[in-house]
Amino acid sequence: MWSYERRLQYPVNIKERNPRLAQVIMSQFGGPDGELAASMRYLSQRYSTKNRKVAGILTDIGTEELAHR
Amino acid sequence: MDKTSREKLFACITATSFVLDDLRLYLDTHPNDQEALDYWRKVQRVRNEAVEEYTKCFGPIYSYDVDVSNRWTWVDEPWPWEGRC
Repeated sequence: MWSYERRLQYPVNIKERNPRLAQVIMSQFGGPDGELAASMRYLSQRYSTKNRKVAGILTDIGTEELAHR
Repeated sequence: MDKTSREKLFACITATSFVLDDLRLYLDTHPNDQEALDYWRKVQRVRNEAVEEYTKCFGPIYSYDVDVSNRWTWVDEPWPWEGRC
C-alpha cells in the first residue's frame, strides 16, 4: 500500500501562467508515455520477476514515479 | 516558531528526503556498501528529527499523525499544489 506525504518531492514556484507549457507537462504526467503510466508498469512488472533485487528496485522506482506529483 | 524556521525545517525535510529517495534505489542493488549504509543512517537521523519537529510545531505531513483532540484537520491546511510547499 502507499501513503501520502503532504509535500512535494521538489519545491516549485510558478511565476507566470503558461497554458502551452502546462499542456506539455500534463501530457508528460498523464499521457501515453507519462509518469502515471510508467509507475503502473513498474509496479505491475515487479510481480513477474524472479530476481529479488529487481522486484525491490521496481517497487521503489514505481513508488518514485508516483512521488513526482 | 516563526515563518523562517518553518521554511528552514521544511527545506531540511525536502533535502534529506531527496537524498534518501536516491540512496534507496542504490541500496536496493548494493545492499552491503558500507559507505552508503553509513550515509543512510546519518541522513535518516536528521530527517526523522526534522519531521518530528515539523509535525509537532506546524502539523502533520503524514495523515497517520493527525491529532484529533479537537476535530479532523487534515484537509484544512493548503495542499502542496495550492502554493509553495
